[in-house]
Amino acid sequence: MAGPITVFSARKIITMDAAIEEATHVAVRDGIVIELGDLDDCAAWGPYTLDDRFGSGVLMPGLIESHAHLLDGLLWAKAEYVGPVDRHDPSGKLRSGINTVPGLVQRLKELEAGLKDPSQPLVGWGVDPSLNDPIAPITRHDLDQVSSTRPIFLLHASCHIAYVNSATLTLANYAAVKAPGVTRDSSGEPTGELLELAAMMAAIKATAADMIGGSTDAAQFYNFAKVAQARGATTIVDGGGSTYFDPAFLKAALVATGAPDFPARIVAHHNGITVPTAEEMIRFAASLEGKGNDKLIFQGIKILLDGSNQGFTGRLRPPGYLASGANGLWNRGPEELKTLVPALHNAGLQVVAHCNADQAAELFIEAVATAQAKNPRFDHRHFIVHGQLLDESLMRRMAALGIHVTLFSNHLYYWGEFHRAHTFGAFRAGAMNPASTALRLGLVAAAHSDTPVSPVDPLLTLWCAANRVTAAGRVLGPRERVSAHDALRMMTFNAAYLLHRDHEIGSIRVGKRADFAVLAEDPLAIDPMGLRDIEVQGTIVGGRVFGAGA
Amino acid sequence: MDCLPVTVPVTILGGYLGAGKTTLLNRLLADVQGVRLTVLVNDFGEVNIDASLIANRDGETISLANGCVCCSIGDNLGLTLYDLAERPDGPEHILIEASGVADPARIAGYAGCHPRLCLDGIVVLADAETVQARAGDRYVGDVVRQQLAAADLIVLSRTDLLDASATRSVRDWIEAEMPGARVQEASAMSRLAQLLLAGGGGTMDMPSSSSSSSSSGKHDSLFAAWRLASALPLDGAALRRALAALPPAVLRAKGIVSLAEAPGRRFVLQLVGRRWSLEPEVRSDGSALAGPSEVVAIGLAGQLDMDQLEALFAPTLPAGLPRAVAVLLRQEDRA
Repeated sequence: MAGPITVFSARKIITMDAAIEEATHVAVRDGIVIELGDLDDCAAWGPYTLDDRFGSGVLMPGLIESHAHLLDGLLWAKAEYVGPVDRHDPSGKLRSGINTVPGLVQRLKELEAGLKDPSQPLVGWGVDPSLNDPIAPITRHDLDQVSSTRPIFLLHASCHIAYVNSATLTLANYAAVKAPGVTRDSSGEPTGELLELAAMMAAIKATAADMIGGSTDAAQFYNFAKVAQARGATTIVDGGGSTYFDPAFLKAALVATGAPDFPARIVAHHNGITVPTAEEMIRFAASLEGKGNDKLIFQGIKILLDGSNQGFTGRLRPPGYLASGANGLWNRGPEELKTLVPALHNAGLQVVAHCNADQAAELFIEAVATAQAKNPRFDHRHFIVHGQLLDESLMRRMAALGIHVTLFSNHLYYWGEFHRAHTFGAFRAGAMNPASTALRLGLVAAAHSDTPVSPVDPLLTLWCAANRVTAAGRVLGPRERVSAHDALRMMTFNAAYLLHRDHEIGSIRVGKRADFAVLAEDPLAIDPMGLRDIEVQGTIVGGRVFGAGA
Repeated sequence: MDCLPVTVPVTILGGYLGAGKTTLLNRLLADVQGVRLTVLVNDFGEVNIDASLIANRDGETISLANGCVCCSIGDNLGLTLYDLAERPDGPEHILIEASGVADPARIAGYAGCHPRLCLDGIVVLADAETVQARAGDRYVGDVVRQQLAAADLIVLSRTDLLDASATRSVRDWIEAEMPGARVQEASAMSRLAQLLLAGGGGTMDMPSSSSSSSSSGKHDSLFAAWRLASALPLDGAALRRALAALPPAVLRAKGIVSLAEAPGRRFVLQLVGRRWSLEPEVRSDGSALAGPSEVVAIGLAGQLDMDQLEALFAPTLPAGLPRAVAVLLRQEDRA
């Protein structure tokens, strides 16, 4: 039996649907849109309840974060955010960035004062001295001002560096830790900076052991969804490192996402990252078939080809990294990738390929070409994640092979100046994340945050694609800017297509799920530079209202 | 034994895909004796050990009757290694198989992730048939070169498929590309495996083992050893000079020495290829011991120039020491 009808009213409804672009009322029944138009159009379906709480707002399809990591939710659960970048927390509150060392010390002192048990470590995340003003290292001497007895551990935004105080160095016996990543001063004493996991391991074990090795904490799922929801997302991707094939982890995920108050849908990629072989990847993916629920969907298998550009580990075509000419790291060997991609393709899986730099993308394109030549598949929707240095020639081959992309547009803002000065140089920095060309060539392009690498905030991400402004205010490659409409489409319909969910979400249309974002302003009517500052009033997921910060 | 090893040496085995790492590991696990070795591998499915040697198989871990263990690196090498070092019944030596595209120097960083662990050496296998072509490949050329550059010891595999002149030419190419490289042929994989572990446990109890040629057990005729022994402390500066100048034929050296500059304690010498370390001896009870000095250098039979080594190490002996006190043992090991 059909359920009751709710009609939501709005100042304007942006449908992102080709047939009818605007409306003022949408009728929802059983979580599905049944009508769209004005109130009379909706009334034709019979008795309804009018919900006009968002009557002065602008309704649009729920935003879709097409690449993120569940780790974000775990960090919010286990550590204090103390980074230099503004970030919304799971309650929707904006945490202002702290971009000086004295400011950081002050904030840590406040947090320290709130801890009762003197042996409880103080754990923070998100720090990044390269974004501080002035740029200054964080040392144990700074952190010793906070406490000489309580262990302190701060994780860098990249998750590749940590900063600790003397109490942690003593507790974890760093006098005997020989890893080269333990930075030392001229007298041989550790400075408190620990580079890479090998050097961080002993400190993590001593202060934050529950952050490593797989957590089944329900809070990580809620936080992950809430942070995105607060900024208008109704669907967020968990990008492939999680272990849903582990029964305990799957159970925790199903319990959390199965609750009626769970505030967003998670589309989880299968794990092709920590699972070593194609056979196991295919077996694990098959074992999860039909195992999801309304808010946990398994789609696509994520594989890694290279590292990160800001970490100098992306695989570039010549001339390599700026000045040094060096190249980055393959995550798997090219020969292996040339057999892995066809194996996954032949198994009927959608391949989601992390290719940060252009040589990695080139290799993936070649591997798909091999797979397609032997076993042509239509509508496979393989796509590249990041694709930061794609050019027209690579993208034409992608278009020919049916490969699409979600771009890492946030890099333009957060690391645009860094890439210009340190990794790519002027031309390639200006050509990064070429959304306009991608769309012109017919690729279905989306954009993403890769949180926790950069903050999950779909409005910020589409602002980046539309404006291409660095943190210093420079416009990188103005020709690659996209219109606000295209930017919205990237974060809705296009992202839904990449996730094989465009028949259900990504636009507001009769028959699709009632997943909406409610904004205080019309993103198509304002200066695109204002997109990132639009207030989110709430979201609606399957017809259920979630207030901002719900 | 009154002194449990407090330091666990870690060897990195690198090399591009197909260079023969798994073959070497399979043999190593079956052959090794006298050392509780744990091998961490990338592709657990490739490990192929004679069923008769397996004592227990539990998920991603195989325990062998000889005390060795093989387990999967899993998704976090740091965590796996750290937890291993925490085990009271843990290994005496750890060997990590680096993935075929990994930079072994980066993996070597993990060898210091726990206070008990220390890097023993980086051994990189190179397929003699393909290494040169791979080094020119547009996708992996830089990776292959980086691996070779990181090696303390390069081992050429598949030389049995090449004639002598082709092998010679590959060696020449490596030596030209990587000045100072130590290159050896893996014509006998299982023996090579023993050489990799010749350091044994982290401490050497010289007095009790001085009667045998080395603590790693016997070397067969493939290898030759040269030995220096002195009842009096050695000259540390001269010893360091000698170690830095060792000929490429020395594949492995180890020793425990007293130095004139630091009386009252001993130092542990470890050398793999061109990497060597001379560190104060660490004993589990925190005590320091003085005692006689002994250094053993190992290389392939026929390649080790004993006279050259003797001349090289002569300045390390206390000046003016009567020949009768400085006992120079010179010995070729036999099986």
